Amino acid sequence: MSLSVLQRISSGDSAALRACIDQYGGLVWNLARRLSRTASDAEDATQEIFLDVWKSADRFDAAQGSEKMFIAMIARRRLIDRLRKTSAQPPMDPLEALESIACADPSNDSESASEAENAVRALQELKPDQRQVLELGLLQGLSQSEISAKLGVPLGSVKSLMRRGLIKVREAMNIDAEGVAARS
Amino acid sequence: MSDTDPQIPSEEWLDLLVRELTDELTPAERSTLASAGSPELVAQTRRDLDRAAGAIALAVAESVPQALPPALQRRLEEQAAAFRASSPRATTVVPLPLRREAPAAPPRAGTGSAGAGWWAAAACLLLAAFAWFRAPQTVFMPAPPSEAKQQSEPTPAMLRAALLTHPNVIKFNVGATKDPAAAGLTGDVVWDPATQQGFLRLVGLRANDPRIEQYQLWIFDGERDQRYPVDGGVFDSTANGGEVLVPIHAAIPVHVAKVFAVTVEKPGGVVVSAREHVVALAQAS
Repeated sequence: MSLSVLQRISSGDSAALRACIDQYGGLVWNLARRLSRTASDAEDATQEIFLDVWKSADRFDAAQGSEKMFIAMIARRRLIDRLRKTSAQPPMDPLEALESIACADPSNDSESASEAENAVRALQELKPDQRQVLELGLLQGLSQSEISAKLGVPLGSVKSLMRRGLIKVREAMNIDAEGVAARS
Repeated sequence: MSDTDPQIPSEEWLDLLVRELTDELTPAERSTLASAGSPELVAQTRRDLDRAAGAIALAVAESVPQALPPALQRRLEEQAAAFRASSPRATTVVPLPLRREAPAAPPRAGTGSAGAGWWAAAACLLLAAFAWFRAPQTVFMPAPPSEAKQQSEPTPAMLRAALLTHPNVIKFNVGATKDPAAAGLTGDVVWDPATQQGFLRLVGLRANDPRIEQYQLWIFDGERDQRYPVDGGVFDSTANGGEVLVPIHAAIPVHVAKVFAVTVEKPGGVVVSAREHVVALAQAS
């Protein structure tokens, strides 16, 4: 069985670093561009994310999901950290990213399409206010209190919307991900 | 903490795990989570929720695919070369003072004052008048990618990326002045007040002949007399319109960096600037 790019990095294959950029550069850049305040910030974030990915390569576990998913998780965390560190300006592409993908056709023929597809399908089943809360929290770095203030919704409702929305997406992942059984 | 089935996440700690994705938990909340139900269940649920959040991010990223910009691709490749050359587990910023002596050449005679207007405008904002002082000079020549791959030390690009992971790093956007040498100039400064490390990144800076003139960086410290900016070092541009990455070596501690300025000076830098050529000013973004 051939090793994945992250497994090659973990095993010390130096050529895999370049392969990682080629393979996932677009993904990371796209996320960075959407979750950064300026193009310059997005570029810096992309560099930071790749450093994180390379350093974390040995933590990748294929049984837990695809490489693409692993990298998307690292990227989101890093981007949210950066958004939190700076002032409360919105990212370049604020709001409605989830609304637009919830209206999209989830079919995709990429190798790890199932994970993104499952997420899109789950998002399509959410109510608009659930998607909005998830977007503000997970993709714009707003705290639950900030979301509550921004939307004029009680904090308890924000917690509930976010919890239920995420559980829905999590269930969609568990149902279809190989080797991971639904637990709840 | 709960007398219910420890294998079923309670709403309370599920909410805490969800909040972890967007917020810093308080010590009390972390303690609640630590004592909640089965540690394995908490850990697994945390992973699941993180994965769900990652799946949403992945869905967003794949909704409108975008290619990596070529310039960023090159920076990443240089970063990869440095990562390969260094310890793959390196996490700290290693000082990279690639120093050389400033070339010996006679001071350039003063000419014109094309940048005086801009400088005056900046001066109104920042200070009454400049009385500059001399400090140790540092020159950085960025290594081309082919050389960088052979270096055993991290490249400036990698060091800058590592610096950006430090908490409280401040970023300043570079604005070009009206000086002819500044046409089309963009870039930024990243500065970590805690470690006093920083990098100036300029794109579009005209190449200089170090026998005739050099660029000099100045740091305006909000807690010092604005007439006495801190010398940030002398450097050259060989990029001729490309990217120049300059490690900043403040001659003395900078308490509150307010503005970074780049001037064109005689070889080796100056003690008192004639203020003829100010090519870049960077203020906090």
